[in-house]
Amino acid sequence: MLESQLQALAASAQQRIDAAASPDALEAVRVEVLGRKGALAEVSKGMGKLTPTDRVRIGKLLNSTKTTLESALDARLKSFADAALAARLDAEWLDVTLPAPGTRPGALHPLTRIQQELEDLFTSMGVAVLDGPEVESEYNNFDALNIPPDHPARDMQDTFWLSSGQCLRTHTSPVQVRGMAKLGPPLLMIAPGRVFRNEEVDASHEHTFYQLEGMMVDRNVSIAHMLYFMRTLLKHIFNREVTVRLRPGYFPFVEPGFELDIQCLICNGSGCPVCKQSGWVELLPCGLVHPNVLRMGGIDPDRWGGFAFGLGLTRLVMMRYGIDDIRWLQSGDLRFLRQF
Amino acid sequence: MKFSYNWIREMVDGLDVAPHDLMQLITIKTAECEGVEEAGSHFAKVVAARVLEAEPIPGSHNRKARIDAGPLGERTLVCGASNCRAGLLTAYVPSGTGLEGTHIGKRVVSGIESDGMLASARELGINKDHETIVELDAVTPGESLPRLQPDHLIEVDNKSLTHRPDLWGHHGMAREVSAITGKPLRDPVDMTRIPQGPAPVKIAIEDFTLCPRYSALAFENVTVQASPLWFQHRLQILGLNPINNIVDVTNYVMAELAQPMHAFDAGKLAGDTIFVRNAREGETADALNGETYALTPAALVIADASGPIAIAGVIGGAHSAIGDSTTRLVLESANFHAACVRRTSSRLKLRTDASMRFEKSQDPVNTVRALARAVELLELVSPGIRLVGGLGDLAAPPKPAPVIELHMDWLIRKLGRDIEPAEVQRILEALHFTVEAPAAGVFIVTVPSWRATKDISIKDDLIEEIGRMIGYATITPVAPVTPTEAPADNPRRRFHRQLRQLVTAQGFDEVYNYSFLSEDDARRFSLDPAAHVTVANPISIDQALLRQTLIPGIWKNIQENSKHFDEFRLFEIGYEIHRRADALPEEVPHLAAAVYQKTKEAGPLYEAKRLAECILPGCELRPAGDAAVHEHPARTAGILWRGETVGRLFEFHPNFVEGRAVVVDLNLGRIEAMGSPEKRYQPVRRYPESAFDLSVIGQRRTLAGDVEKLIRGFAGPQLESIRFLRQYEGAPLADGAKSISFRLVVASRDHTLSNEEVTAVRDAIIDGMRREGFDMRV
Ligand SMILES: [Zn+2]
Repeated sequence: MLESQLQALAASAQQRIDAAASPDALEAVRVEVLGRKGALAEVSKGMGKLTPTDRVRIGKLLNSTKTTLESALDARLKSFADAALAARLDAEWLDVTLPAPGTRPGALHPLTRIQQELEDLFTSMGVAVLDGPEVESEYNNFDALNIPPDHPARDMQDTFWLSSGQCLRTHTSPVQVRGMAKLGPPLLMIAPGRVFRNEEVDASHEHTFYQLEGMMVDRNVSIAHMLYFMRTLLKHIFNREVTVRLRPGYFPFVEPGFELDIQCLICNGSGCPVCKQSGWVELLPCGLVHPNVLRMGGIDPDRWGGFAFGLGLTRLVMMRYGIDDIRWLQSGDLRFLRQF
Repeated sequence: MKFSYNWIREMVDGLDVAPHDLMQLITIKTAECEGVEEAGSHFAKVVAARVLEAEPIPGSHNRKARIDAGPLGERTLVCGASNCRAGLLTAYVPSGTGLEGTHIGKRVVSGIESDGMLASARELGINKDHETIVELDAVTPGESLPRLQPDHLIEVDNKSLTHRPDLWGHHGMAREVSAITGKPLRDPVDMTRIPQGPAPVKIAIEDFTLCPRYSALAFENVTVQASPLWFQHRLQILGLNPINNIVDVTNYVMAELAQPMHAFDAGKLAGDTIFVRNAREGETADALNGETYALTPAALVIADASGPIAIAGVIGGAHSAIGDSTTRLVLESANFHAACVRRTSSRLKLRTDASMRFEKSQDPVNTVRALARAVELLELVSPGIRLVGGLGDLAAPPKPAPVIELHMDWLIRKLGRDIEPAEVQRILEALHFTVEAPAAGVFIVTVPSWRATKDISIKDDLIEEIGRMIGYATITPVAPVTPTEAPADNPRRRFHRQLRQLVTAQGFDEVYNYSFLSEDDARRFSLDPAAHVTVANPISIDQALLRQTLIPGIWKNIQENSKHFDEFRLFEIGYEIHRRADALPEEVPHLAAAVYQKTKEAGPLYEAKRLAECILPGCELRPAGDAAVHEHPARTAGILWRGETVGRLFEFHPNFVEGRAVVVDLNLGRIEAMGSPEKRYQPVRRYPESAFDLSVIGQRRTLAGDVEKLIRGFAGPQLESIRFLRQYEGAPLADGAKSISFRLVVASRDHTLSNEEVTAVRDAIIDGMRREGFDMRV
């Protein structure tokens, strides 16, 4: 009797759970069926009249009915929650292709980029980074570099002279003089910076450009050492092996002096407009430090020797980024600068 | 400097290297070449021809000519030259010839088919004469023009010849080529041409330092006429204009031996003595180029009894110049002090082929060699010319040739590669050094005179001679001994790099501006041009000053970029250059950053302020009462940081910028000098905090920053933070009043504050502010 009553109750409860349209409807079922005063509780009240054997059997049935209904309720509730969450998530759709607000990071000037890159490279090679002023004394810019007054080499560098008799440095080489005084031998230094030449400006000439001076002073420094250093440097700059050649070049502050050419990276030496069909691109003047320069820097050339080089940073930037007009660099034009 | 390949080949026996390959060799071993160009390639096709008949073409100034071109046969052509006449021997350019870039073909002129052309000297590249066609004699029709051959010019970068006086002539370059190729060198000079006997010209040198040697020869029975065409062509292709046979000889010798020479018309000289002396105060010289130069005693002149006849080493005088009437001449071949010539030439702004050579320190030994060569050439181009007497030659005692001790072990150490002593000796001797070997591994090297004036004096100079000849490609790179110490720090660069990172992260693009400033811009910004460091030789008046502020550059950037963008942010880190008496200028690094918006809103100012606060946490702005002409007087402030004024923030005055442009200008030198503030850990408060709001009624221009400072003072040590909330003007406040609201947070380090304690802090503030005259909204 109780058994069939229970089964009917379970069947109808299950039906109501399945049919419930909302969590509230489910809650009503829970109260009516499983609640303290619910239908199941009503049934269990009749248990006292049963034989002990029947009581055990009906008790089990009661419990299992209760468990079944509870889990059916929970499952149904969860499916409501899942649906609600899914609906919420769906409603929260955003157009991720809309532009993000706020300002973008600005661009570093390409000359800054290349300077920082080279500073990092040299620092990792144990090289100190030095600075020198834009305005130099005639002595530091020329005399101390073995270019005395009336030396024709002074014509090699069209100089901006100041009313004071000082000049705008024509190269970063005066920092050699400052470096020797500051560091003493042995030394390994570079000096990137702004230099000036009294030249008309056009697509490939600027009166203001950037160089990077390098100098090593140590015992027994040879051309072979210089070559190694240069090759390592260029390998890092161009991120590949480069073929270099040295040829004579005249700079009063080095002896012997060289022009270092790299094999053209565009045509790999077969000849193209960039290298003027020669297969080589002139990149780096360098040489062994002239004993007079060491002497004027307070370093005994009989005990010490060195090499020095000058890298054209502006040219390097133009090669790196394929910039065809040098005037962009100091134009301040954001249409250009924002590309970096 | 251009070198004729043919000319070099005349002096290097058996030279079998093609022009382009020779250029490569010279580049690698000696001096940088800029290229090879053809010169006179048409001479492979141009032939002599005889005009058979020439008849005027009616209605035209042209003539119809029939010519005999030998094996090429008879041709008919049209010629416009007035000297085109029957019987004339001239140059015929057959159709199919390229002539200085023009293709000569058959074409119809004045109704007649013209087959090829008769050429003027200019068309053939011989000289500038374009009036007439060339007139030849002693040639057979159909033959090539005598000694006129296709040539190549190798152009060498002058800069790479700065230290090589000997390479300013073909013989010097031939010597290099001989050493490079191992082919024997031929010397064009025959010293037996120098006549013996007493010199008709007396020479007086005042200062042997300025003129170490002066040599001269006298000639008579001179015929002044045009040089042979091949002689002219040789000069023309090098850029030395043919003038007349005498002047051409001086230029020819200069181009060959690097020794500048000058010819005087002996008939125009006063007295029998040539004086080499400093110019007298106030003296002038009338030069060959038609100019008159005022001289100072720093200039050296050549003078006769009546005054200057040449500016030594620079240019000859007009009066004694060779002309058609010249029958006697004095040929000067002298040596002058390099710096003296250079100074005079740059003071007179007159660079000549002579001065360019002398300023490289020419070899005094060369003067007489050049005269010997000139004698031979003058006899060639001025038939019948006769020498008068012997050589006039006055010289300082010759300097002993430099002798250099060269140790093999030292050389090998410098090269970084092994080399046999025999090879060293061979190379030096090929370059005409004298080499002795007194002991194993030691050479005593004597420098030839033409390398001894400036170029080579120490053993280091010999590394280059040997290195370039063995080829630097034979040196294997070797790693230097790596340093074991961390390199010296550069705090300034580190600081600037951090700043660049920070500022770009805030959306600012980096610009680089010039260090120059125009006087106009200085005045525009109310700066005194006279207070600037000034450039004595600016490219243009726009670049006459050095900037002592970055602001004008930034202003230009704003002007330019506002044409393309409605808003932007940009910055520069650069140096202000300030004049200092008797010292190098003070170069002060500055950061100038600008925010621009094409708007009327005040946003850019607070964005710029935020940048300042990012760079200088805790900095404070104080309104500046001294706004400059370019600054908005109500929107300009000093930037204080840790008690010091380190910069300025201003909005550009509307007279300067349309829209809003706000600039932060920081003195990075000062900020760097202040160092980083030391950071110390503070224990985190563990007890709960309490918050309350306060509103202070002030005047419209009461500074919120001042109010906040007062509140901080009254709040005492329990104040954790104070934050501006808002300000308000309008009802119910009185006109001209505003309320400024803050949120305060208070807490204690050792207990939870009771309500009474919080109220006490609040009351203390309210009482304090009221004592300061502020109304409080409570
Ligand atoms: Zn190439």
